[in-house]
Amino acid sequence: MNDKELLPWLEKATSGDESAFQLVYQATHQDVYRTVAFLVYSKQDIEDIVNEAYIRMWRSFHTYDPQRPFRYWLHGIVVRQVQDWKRKAWRRIRLFERNRQMTREQFEWTDKAVLQSEMQLELFRLVRQLSYKLRVVVILRYFHDYALEEIADMLQIPVGTVKSRHHLALKELRKRFELTGGDAYVY
Amino acid sequence: MSIDKQLREELRKGADSMHCPPDLYGRVQQSYQQYVNEKRGRSPMKKRILVGIAAIAILIPSAALAGSYLADDIFGSSATIEQHGGSQEDYQVIEEMLQAAKGKLTEDEFKEYMELTKQMVQLKLKITDENGVVHEESLTKEEQQLFEQLASKLGPYFEKINATSNP
Repeated sequence: MNDKELLPWLEKATSGDESAFQLVYQATHQDVYRTVAFLVYSKQDIEDIVNEAYIRMWRSFHTYDPQRPFRYWLHGIVVRQVQDWKRKAWRRIRLFERNRQMTREQFEWTDKAVLQSEMQLELFRLVRQLSYKLRVVVILRYFHDYALEEIADMLQIPVGTVKSRHHLALKELRKRFELTGGDAYVY
Repeated sequence: MSIDKQLREELRKGADSMHCPPDLYGRVQQSYQQYVNEKRGRSPMKKRILVGIAAIAILIPSAALAGSYLADDIFGSSATIEQHGGSQEDYQVIEEMLQAAKGKLTEDEFKEYMELTKQMVQLKLKITDENGVVHEESLTKEEQQLFEQLASKLGPYFEKINATSNP
């Protein structure tokens, strides 16, 4: 189902039609979940954020501009929800505890993912090790295919900042990629 | 392979290996339910007032329009009654009578009632001059019979309308 077809359903869902809600959820939940899971690693946190992103979706549907692509609006909500969560999380939990927890989960999760796909997803693993600020740019650029200007708009930061983060992220990835020897033409 | 291309591919594959847990649906649905309840229950009074206003806004013009329609069905327009010594006010009185009948009678009854009244009025108009004076003697014998027939048929309807309006 494409964005245009989804819109009337979303509108119905917003006014209280439960079957429309089901349909919208089915059409979007994998995308929403994956976007969040790229940015946040704890299973519990991912689920909290997905839930909150949907709540935000109903509540701010009236601000949606039909001239713009639906997914762009949706991803904007998801990303802002993640940022909100991070802001709160830093206040709530002590830094080092959080880091330890994150690293452990990250590796458990990645191992599983790699096993499941039976692929050496070296770059994917490296992306997950990037700092959040760099990672979010990489995900929006290479997973969702947004232009750097769009990413700036979504993250509400200057384009110049996005460009420098993008550049930094790629530099970091190249460096680590060579170090781990995961380059495709080694084999 | 360029790093751009490889990144895209690995992210896609990585994404494919991530699956939204099915039980998350229940949770999101619960939040949705809460949202819907909140939305509905936000201010029932305000909503009721709005519905009331909307209903009045719809009813007033339709009543006004229907008003002219009912009597127009019988007379064509208020000009007809004015030509026979009636006034705009008389027209309004007849209109109210018809409206009352419409409220009291069933749809079929009202249709029949309108048809009979129309015939009756045609006859009455024929014998009424421009000063509103009735000349019953100008009716032919057939017309007189028809007049009585109509009156007797209309009788029960009048009873019904008056009975319910003045219990």
